[in-house]
Amino acid sequence: MPDEEILEEGVLSPIEPEIQDPLLRALIADEPAAAAAPVATPLEQPQAVPAEADEVDCLVIGLGAGGAPLLARLAMAGLKVMALEAGPWHNPTTDFATDEKAQDFLFWNDERLAAGADPLAMGKNNSGTGVGGSTLHYTAYTPRPLPDDLHIRRDFGQGEDWPVSYEELEPYYNEVERFIGVSGPTPYPWGPARSQGYPMAPLPLNSAAQLMVRGAEKLGIKTSPAANAALSARYYQEGVGWREACTNRGFCQAGCSNGAKSSMDVTYIPLAVKHGAEIQPNSFVTEIERDERGRVTGVVYTHNGEQKRQRCRHLFLCGGSVETPRLLLLNNLGLSSGQVGRNLMAHPGLQVWGTFADEVRPNKGIPGGLISQDTHRPTGADFVGGYLLQSIGVMPVTFAGQVARGRKYWGQQLRNYMKNFNHIAGINILGDCLPHADNFLELAEEKDGRGLPKPRLHFSAQENEHRMNAHAEKIMRGIWEAAGATDIWSFQRYAHVIGTARMGLSGDDAVVDANGRVFDVPNLYISDNSTFPSALSVNPALTIMALSLRTADKFLESQQRRDN
Amino acid sequence: MSVPTYPNGTVRALLATEHVSEATRAALQSRLDAPAAYEPQLLAPETFALLEAVAGRLFPQPDRPDNPIALAPAVDQRLAEGRADGWRYDALPPDREAVRMGLGGINEIAQELFQADFMALSAEQQDAALQALADGNPPGTTWQTLDAGRFFEELLAELTENYYAHPLAQEEIGYVGMADLPAWTKIGLNEREERELKLSS
Repeated sequence: MPDEEILEEGVLSPIEPEIQDPLLRALIADEPAAAAAPVATPLEQPQAVPAEADEVDCLVIGLGAGGAPLLARLAMAGLKVMALEAGPWHNPTTDFATDEKAQDFLFWNDERLAAGADPLAMGKNNSGTGVGGSTLHYTAYTPRPLPDDLHIRRDFGQGEDWPVSYEELEPYYNEVERFIGVSGPTPYPWGPARSQGYPMAPLPLNSAAQLMVRGAEKLGIKTSPAANAALSARYYQEGVGWREACTNRGFCQAGCSNGAKSSMDVTYIPLAVKHGAEIQPNSFVTEIERDERGRVTGVVYTHNGEQKRQRCRHLFLCGGSVETPRLLLLNNLGLSSGQVGRNLMAHPGLQVWGTFADEVRPNKGIPGGLISQDTHRPTGADFVGGYLLQSIGVMPVTFAGQVARGRKYWGQQLRNYMKNFNHIAGINILGDCLPHADNFLELAEEKDGRGLPKPRLHFSAQENEHRMNAHAEKIMRGIWEAAGATDIWSFQRYAHVIGTARMGLSGDDAVVDANGRVFDVPNLYISDNSTFPSALSVNPALTIMALSLRTADKFLESQQRRDN
Repeated sequence: MSVPTYPNGTVRALLATEHVSEATRAALQSRLDAPAAYEPQLLAPETFALLEAVAGRLFPQPDRPDNPIALAPAVDQRLAEGRADGWRYDALPPDREAVRMGLGGINEIAQELFQADFMALSAEQQDAALQALADGNPPGTTWQTLDAGRFFEELLAELTENYYAHPLAQEEIGYVGMADLPAWTKIGLNEREERELKLSS
């Protein structure tokens, strides 16, 4: 076995793979600026990083659903704030094609290693990069959790409860839905009465949604047009102006080109900029620096190939549940609870596909047009928690890839099946997931193109997920049969990585407190889906945004109390 | 249900219209205009030829005898540039190694089953060798260290995505989602915009 060759091959973009310390690497790289100084002991001279910008009050790393809302909030409070985003700042109107492959740049394409019995697909499934983060390609499906989602341990004796109640979060859900523009049904058919309805009527139902209505009605399952963070009508956006209504492109997962989808780049980010926030795209953070008391003093990052340092009084990590724990692990930061990287959860997202005599043309319209939460706590279920049901539209390349992986069709059989594309519709679930000792993130020996250890994600669905999937598959096949589908098949998948820096009441078993502050480091906060104590039975984006605003408010309160 | 068929030429006709954005047109046109000849950048010529032969069975194109949609160049290019799609099965070695090992392993399967290299086999024999790989437990020492099922899945998925990204493959399945300007207004069951293709069968 050519082991050495394999190790070398592991560096896909071999940019000085051996030296991991970026400062040391900069020095050894014989940079002209550093060459002037007599460098005898490079390790003792981290100040060699040249550009040291002024200190900011708050530095935010990552501009997705976790970073953008709090960036705006902190800027509006008059603080000097800055955000570093690993990816570029796009102009969707001119840059975004209606083409899946051409839009690959929206995904975090650095390689992550997927281990375990149910390896998690990353890339387009689970990650994002660019100013706006994963919201640039989220489906915009934004149901709220139901109150008991936050109390899985209280109700079932397994998993973890949230240290934040639904009542505390509700005003934030109201605020986010109104600000970014969520289209949805009022009143909402499931859960307690709400103090505020959706600001816009639901988006129109596409074919898949109509088929799900047809099938579910026959089985007595209640459905409703879903809540989607895309505009069903023109909407005035502070900091942006008028945003146009959705044109039913159906390409939400490959980027919205007309600003109708409520991604961070057309909502909270312009608001933040309007209030003075500075945005630095193409900035990849490698190091978090601390003083002798253990407080964060700043970060080192790479910007267009150049090492830079940014000092800050407070740091907000919002890189998502892979990059956030990776940064903590790489920097040996906030690790005293032993929970960083652990409790990795992923939503069961089983899909069922069928072929219909009707013309479907599944690429049109908001993909997740319809919802049912009748299965939120199904009676007589043999599992903990529950799931939601949704109709799904799909783009052709994504669908073809799933047919190849899931159905294992190839050759003429695959080509023949794909000719049914305009007659195919899907339905899927999004279900809760329990943490398990076998499911975690770690740093691998193998290095990436930056010379940093690749994250390895271990995920094996456990008994509870298996039972939930079995329950859901039976129901979904039933709905699709009732709707008239033939050639029905299921595709097993898991979506969203959650829980790798969880929130809790004590630093003994959690990384951050209920306000998002890291127990070990008083001026370090985390705001993204890594802090979720449980997975919830709904898509995470809306809750990430709500928590982000709450973390900002709690931070601002603490500043007023001067107890920080 | 019988297999639907769609008229040729429609996507190509739509590309020139105002229904397609500049960025979209550029992406699709570049695939249509890709030169037929390709010099492999990473794989050795004989390895690349083997990859082409495998792609030719995973996506047989008897309907395009003279100019099949080329699927192997994009794989070689990606490997040469060190691009990834964001993840890799931990069970597999890094992509370059996996592709080289796996293609060698396909020759091994061919030798074990038919005592000849893959490229010397008949189409039926080649399909049998690939089916043995797809089934996950093929003969050959390669497959004692390389996970056959995962390797096949990854290779097939990449070729599949390359194939259906091509405008001619999109014509084949009656997909015209690229022509989305100014909007889709008819999105319900059995509704069709004028520019959407009718079934010809």
